[in-house]
Amino acid sequence: MIEIADVTVKFGGVVALDNVTLEIADDVVGLIGPNGAGKTTLVNAFSGFVRQAGGRISVHGTSLSDLAPHERARWGLARSFQKVQIVPDLSVADHLLAMLDSKGLSRAQCKEAVHHALDFVGIQNISSKMGRSLNPYQRRMTEIAKCLVGAPRLILLDEPGGGLSQAEMQHLRRVIRGIHPEYGAQILLVDHDVDLIRDVCASTAVLDFGKLIAFGNTNAVLEDEVVKTAYLGR
Amino acid sequence: MGRIFSYATLTGLGLLILALIALPLMLGALWIKVLTSAAIFALAAAGVALVYAQLGLINLAQIALIGVGGWIALRLNYATDLPVTLLVLIAGTLTGVIGAIFALPALRMRGLYLALVTLMVAALFQIFFNAFQFPNGGEGFWGVAQKSASEVRRPGFAESDVGYYRYTLIFMAIGFGVIGLHKITAPGRAWAMIRQSEANAMATGVNVTLYKLWAFALSGLLAGTAGALLAGALGQLDARSFLAGEGILLFALAVVGGVFSWVGAIVAGLLYKLLPALFNDLGLSADVAMIIFGAALMHAIMTAPQGIAGQILGAFNRGGSDD
Repeated sequence: MIEIADVTVKFGGVVALDNVTLEIADDVVGLIGPNGAGKTTLVNAFSGFVRQAGGRISVHGTSLSDLAPHERARWGLARSFQKVQIVPDLSVADHLLAMLDSKGLSRAQCKEAVHHALDFVGIQNISSKMGRSLNPYQRRMTEIAKCLVGAPRLILLDEPGGGLSQAEMQHLRRVIRGIHPEYGAQILLVDHDVDLIRDVCASTAVLDFGKLIAFGNTNAVLEDEVVKTAYLGR
Repeated sequence: MGRIFSYATLTGLGLLILALIALPLMLGALWIKVLTSAAIFALAAAGVALVYAQLGLINLAQIALIGVGGWIALRLNYATDLPVTLLVLIAGTLTGVIGAIFALPALRMRGLYLALVTLMVAALFQIFFNAFQFPNGGEGFWGVAQKSASEVRRPGFAESDVGYYRYTLIFMAIGFGVIGLHKITAPGRAWAMIRQSEANAMATGVNVTLYKLWAFALSGLLAGTAGALLAGALGQLDARSFLAGEGILLFALAVVGGVFSWVGAIVAGLLYKLLPALFNDLGLSADVAMIIFGAALMHAIMTAPQGIAGQILGAFNRGGSDD
């Protein structure tokens, strides 16, 4: 259960998130909205990268707002970035190991977790490849695999489909759908791709100018006239 | 994983054995002393290189921290009967702590601003060394007397210059080994994440402040160890050797040598100590070395971002692939 209560984020005079309140119980939740609506700001508020002017974010009863950003990650908050974060001189496996370093696991457990996650997203064959030699698809998948190791409780995926081909998008859908059954983590998916959201998200929240304008069953939300006006410009 | 005994490491161990055994047979006493100094500064250069390569942070206070390590070692040398090796380790550890403390306020800065802060720290120590000098066996806390220096101890098995040269080389190799281990384990991965972006590191669960301090502490540890070894090598230290400007030179030479490998640190140590001595031997002014350093720095910045070490290792690895 994700509880977002009265979260407000301001950048100078701009109100990026305006008293957003939301309770999410579904396993995979979509977050959509036009450019500048505050989607990434909300993800960054989860991560602790922006200072909240007010409100609280709790997940499974733990108040994330009380934890430092790295403590949130250790608690089980995993995320991907809109601009993929892959280190050129680190191997794919090392990206995942970095996530496990703070978890106090044995070497064998780490190896097993890395193997499992890479296998799950389908890039086991490139585990020793360096970041600089990865293609955009492999970079995305590495970042998603990184989110899966170390017993994640909540995974935030910020536009994971950016720059992927149709076939790769199909694979991404399968991966996202499989995460909760396999790893048990709740997923918050931010994307512009309405088809992707419709395919994988049970419920969806819509932000516009920092305000929550709709939340509920994905199909119902996408048919909502207010959402269409805000999001599709109609 | 599994990279501890890489090709480069094995080559390094081979070269170490060669340097330990063959060089003393081939070189005279003067050159052994020069190489001892070069190894000491290579150890310190490895610290500068570590902070720059792993975190992109510029540390211009390394020479000052060598002075700090030297000061602590000399102070303990006259005040206690501790074994020399223990003394070197204590000096290294304390300097590491001091390095981390001075890095603390600088952690929110990057680039030029951080470089300037470290330069100011170096200037602070320059003033300190000028004001209080290095202990030479005198009375009181500062231990300075108007007399020629009392004896600085060396380990029993390394009393001779050749013995001390070997002793220094082993410290240097251990220092490189410690850095190498860091790079392939959790700290190395954490530094890599920070290098990519601090947000990325935090999202990976990395305590950014801790790991930045850790890098500075490790770099300080190497500088302090180098300083303690230098005190034993020279017998006495002089405040004029630890000017703030020398820290800039050591950083520049670390870049010229190459910050990504221990080979670069050795190149930096050789450039810093061996090249001027060679020119001196040839009857050339030591200033010629400075001109060469300038040209080499231009070369490194413009055409060889991985430094001379990158070019050497590149020649060995040509045709290889990293994936």
